[in-house]
Amino acid sequence: MFEVFKKELLELLRDRKTLFFVLALPMLIFPVIMGLVGFLGSQAALKAEQKVHTYYIINAQHSKQFAERVFYHKSFKQYSGAEQFDTIDALKEAVRSGSIDVGIYLEADPADALKQGKQAKWQMVFNDAQSINFIYNRLQSLANEFSELLREQALVSLGVSKDKQQAILQPIVVSKVDTADKRENIGEKIGAFIPYLLIPLVLMGASYPAIDLGAGEKERGTLETLLLTPVTRTQLVLGKFLTVLLSSLACATVTVLSMAIWVSVAVSFVELDTIKNAFSSITGMDFVLIFALLVPIAAIFSSLVLAISIYARTFKEAQNYMAPLSMGVFLPIVVSLMPNMVLNAKTALIPVTNVALAIKEIVKGTVDYGLLSMIVITSAGLAALLLACCVRWFSKETVLFR
Amino acid sequence: MIEVKALKKRFKLTKEHQQKGKSKDVREHDGYFHSVQNVSFSCSQGEVLGLLGPNGAGKTTTLRMLSTALTPDSGHIHINGQNIVKKPLIGRKSIGFLSGSTGLYGRLSARENVEYFAKLHGLKGKTLKLRCEALFDMLDMTSFLDKRAEHLSTGMKQKASIARAVVHQPDVVVLDEPTTGLDIMTTQTVINFIRGLKNNGTPVIFSTHHLDEVALLCDRICVIDKGVSFFDDSIAQFKAQGNSEELNQAFMNLLQGAGHV
Repeated sequence: MFEVFKKELLELLRDRKTLFFVLALPMLIFPVIMGLVGFLGSQAALKAEQKVHTYYIINAQHSKQFAERVFYHKSFKQYSGAEQFDTIDALKEAVRSGSIDVGIYLEADPADALKQGKQAKWQMVFNDAQSINFIYNRLQSLANEFSELLREQALVSLGVSKDKQQAILQPIVVSKVDTADKRENIGEKIGAFIPYLLIPLVLMGASYPAIDLGAGEKERGTLETLLLTPVTRTQLVLGKFLTVLLSSLACATVTVLSMAIWVSVAVSFVELDTIKNAFSSITGMDFVLIFALLVPIAAIFSSLVLAISIYARTFKEAQNYMAPLSMGVFLPIVVSLMPNMVLNAKTALIPVTNVALAIKEIVKGTVDYGLLSMIVITSAGLAALLLACCVRWFSKETVLFR
Repeated sequence: MIEVKALKKRFKLTKEHQQKGKSKDVREHDGYFHSVQNVSFSCSQGEVLGLLGPNGAGKTTTLRMLSTALTPDSGHIHINGQNIVKKPLIGRKSIGFLSGSTGLYGRLSARENVEYFAKLHGLKGKTLKLRCEALFDMLDMTSFLDKRAEHLSTGMKQKASIARAVVHQPDVVVLDEPTTGLDIMTTQTVINFIRGLKNNGTPVIFSTHHLDEVALLCDRICVIDKGVSFFDDSIAQFKAQGNSEELNQAFMNLLQGAGHV
């Protein structure tokens, strides 16, 4: 068995394609892609933040105070063109043509409306289809501030002093006393993200070598010569399985290490408190536990993809079978994110979902070690069952000589 | 010595194949393709047996059963008295198998390929080294031993696969169309190799379509058609029964005489 394992490993290390998918991709490409997306996203946000929007107000005379607030705001510039707009439709057309970024329609004087016990309804015309858009929030904020000022003045005129206004407006204040510590809060957020990254990678790390070791051998005609050696089918499958398992775990480990290195490099250059806080809460023991959970998952995937690969006649056929599996693996991870989905004796029996839930609990620091052992045992049991099927598969003439 | 008696092997037809309707091949019935229906032959020490038959006759299935890759539905294969149908691991130790497709691992060197199979056959340490070195010298492989198999010429690959097939010193050597698609030089290497085996007293079973090679190497001939072996005797008897001194003509006459053409 170890001769088969050693030889498969040697061949794998000499295969550029597998090395690319198992090592280079997680080490370089993922951080580069994520860095690039992060950089472009932050640049776009910065640009949007710094952009000065051209505005036009219809009926500015209804609220000179508000018009002045907008005029003096650093992010807004008054329309300086000769054209005059007097309807909502005209404002819409001006936004579409690019003459202005936002049009504000003041229907009534809010002070007068307030005296009559009515609300003043203003409209803001802008293009809300852009992904990063600060226009509405900024104007809403200005309108709210002005609205509060008017309310305060109105209440004073009704004889309610400023110090009592707060209590009248909001007689009950509910404050939150959270029993969850900082780690639990951060863990809830990033703990759900980690399985999304790790579990598909474990599968990817297993898929490429498995295709090569099963269908690839069939296609190249080397499998038949291997079957003629006095090595039992069980030993052959175990040798191949160990290679696939190692590759799968290597892929996940390399990814995690590379992410850790790239994050630490990024943090040393830029002050990223959120990332620092998130990662400082995860201890070395947590990493060990996460890795321990990934081993049976990797074993399940390795047996599964090896069985599929042995069944397939060609490399291409195996790839066709792997494609739905790669998408299907997200399903049990998504299930783990469903509301009220927590790790308990029942969910600990659902393959893959149990590991996704357990990883979240580990990161939150609230893991139940009893359930963790249960997950490892049931997953290892399932992996053993699949491996037995794989051996049986490998002994069937109808599969080997399809 | 190898003795093959009344071998049978059938394969289940796919539903798709069955739905296609009547097939031309009489071996397709009862939902099965009866690839090998009754094959018997024997090959003694120092004999070369030529296994002849048209395409699809059942030669490869028969050889796959000899190599234990396929298990017969019934029948016996005895190598030096041991029934390898019941003890396939013994069969795998006793047989060296070589086909036209070299089946080498492209990312391993010629040396690594041969040594890997030697290890799988249980050879270790000095024994392994001595055996491999002897084969490399005999087959004149030293110039390309450390080149990856994917970069070797067809002739070099065939030499490496010969070494791989006999590294464990098998009791019987089985060759499935070993010269198909090879150039003259490489074919000569294979022929010399078979001669060497014959001189060493190793029984060789040799499936081929090239009757000139049969004339050069074989002591006996077995003819298979439609999954049945209907001739197993000496070359002289083959010519006598085929009413021709020309092997090609004798082969055609034999097939016609048996109602196979």
